Amino acid sequence: MTPLRFALAQGVLLADALTALRTVGLDVSRLGEDRRLLVPSGDIEYVLARPSDIATYVERGAADLGIVGKDVLMESAARVLELVDLRFGACRFVVAAPRDALERSLDEYRHLGSLEVATKYPRVAEEHFRRRGIQVEIVKVAGSAELAPQVGLADWIVDLVATGATLAANDLAVVEEIATSTARLIANPSAYQLRREEIAPLAERLASWAAGR
Amino acid sequence: MGSPFREPVLAPPRGFRDILPTEARELRAIERALSETFASHGYVPIEPPMVEHVTPDSGPERHRSMQFLDRDGSLVALRPDITTAVARLVAQRYRDAAGALRLSYFAPVFREEPAMLGAERQHDQAGVELVGPSGPLADAEVLALLAESLARCGLRDATIEIGHVGLVRRAFAELSDDDSAPVMEALRAGDHVGAFHRAANAGMREDGLARARRALAARGPDIESVDIEGIEELREVIHLGRDLFAGEPLWGIPNLSLVPELPYYTGVVFEALHPKSGFPIATGGRYDLLLGAFGTPRRATGFAINVPRLHLALFESGWRPERERTLVALSPAGTRETAQLAASLRARGLVVAIGAVAERAGLEIIESTVVDRDRVRLADGRVMTAEDLARELT
Repeated sequence: MTPLRFALAQGVLLADALTALRTVGLDVSRLGEDRRLLVPSGDIEYVLARPSDIATYVERGAADLGIVGKDVLMESAARVLELVDLRFGACRFVVAAPRDALERSLDEYRHLGSLEVATKYPRVAEEHFRRRGIQVEIVKVAGSAELAPQVGLADWIVDLVATGATLAANDLAVVEEIATSTARLIANPSAYQLRREEIAPLAERLASWAAGR
Repeated sequence: MGSPFREPVLAPPRGFRDILPTEARELRAIERALSETFASHGYVPIEPPMVEHVTPDSGPERHRSMQFLDRDGSLVALRPDITTAVARLVAQRYRDAAGALRLSYFAPVFREEPAMLGAERQHDQAGVELVGPSGPLADAEVLALLAESLARCGLRDATIEIGHVGLVRRAFAELSDDDSAPVMEALRAGDHVGAFHRAANAGMREDGLARARRALAARGPDIESVDIEGIEELREVIHLGRDLFAGEPLWGIPNLSLVPELPYYTGVVFEALHPKSGFPIATGGRYDLLLGAFGTPRRATGFAINVPRLHLALFESGWRPERERTLVALSPAGTRETAQLAASLRARGLVVAIGAVAERAGLEIIESTVVDRDRVRLADGRVMTAEDLARELT
């Protein structure tokens, strides 16, 4: 039997993910020992990857399981099974505008018929404004969307915020919340069926760990 | 100034590719096995057109179809699946047909795929549609045919997971239709977390949630512990299916977590899975609502096999197509002698190509040289008559 392959997102979620896995009895001691990205550990083989790649790995069956933020899943639209809400890594997708310029941008919308929205998350942004019936032009940036309104690149931004401190520091205020996000245990749909005996108990332990937090 | 000749573009458009002879030969072997199996159960082939009109009823795959404008301004699309075309065709041509309509196909379908995911925009689909009958025996017929089709192709280690969308909906029956719709939508998207979150928010009680959770988690023997009205129907369908095609080892795993992405399924649904494939090899089920969209409400069930995924799973498990006849490559001597010898070998049932062979497509090949109109010299120096060579090779 090939080991169960478990993809973990490097970055802010990793520490909490490792804590969760350790608490439910998995051996994660070899992760982070060196710079290896594929770490065998008994019946499980861990894969360390960028958050946005986790969904791709799991969707295509290159990994059986993964831990990744709901935000990443929303932006990728990958078809994976979301099995457990792990309840850490909480953050929110928000629409934000310059604190003093909300009225001005709405006026501009009335006159010009469209708003420019800078974001790293074009799919989430586009879907949100389509649902709202607001005409926008999405400007995709690779980072620091907070900067866009200050330099005149866009009127508003759609961004992921945890505390809101970065927004405040850049004189931005939340216009509305699009969605909340926490870390999820995800599975490749075929792997979930074929390797249910291994995956189900693990998912159950993680679910009760998350419920007890 | 650049060259007056533009560099020719040699690669086909993104998501399309050439299938070269080695692969094509294997695909034809799969096609033969599938077509024979379908035919042996009374299914007759149909060939709907590549292009269909895009209408609001064009089916759920509409947003993923490759669309373009016809010269009269109407919007048309390369067909994204065959099932929708069959639904249209049945409404047009078999509106008043009584009895069961058993149709099969092996044909390419086209889907828009995001760039940079290595996804193909064209692939072959093979499948059947059973229009008319409903009930456990009809559901079992299609299931058993899938199991037998995969077995006849030589696929081992596949499982067929069998669920029931109607039973899953019943697990959330204490919710109103308005409240259960978003729950089912989340399940179709694979979002179990979101589904239970929505059900809880809509006021579903804790014991109901726990029962639904148990139902969705049940796979295989666990299904015995599921208490949803009608669960015995799923068991009956699987037993009947195994009666129709026993198979080895026993196939068919009840599994209520199976909720397909497409919303037109109403009853028994199933997927064929294989450890070598991250995606289902085949999907199918009962879709009683689709034909109604074309104005001809009829019961219908069927399945579609994704041929490239089946091929991949076969290949990864060591399958190779059955050996075909050896190719005799004939190096010409005199042109008339060569022509006469080639005709004489072919008349004896041999496969002959004149001259050097550039593409063997995995075929066995015997190099030979024409001696005269009746004899060849083989690579090892032996000189044989056409008759002796034919005896040796057939």
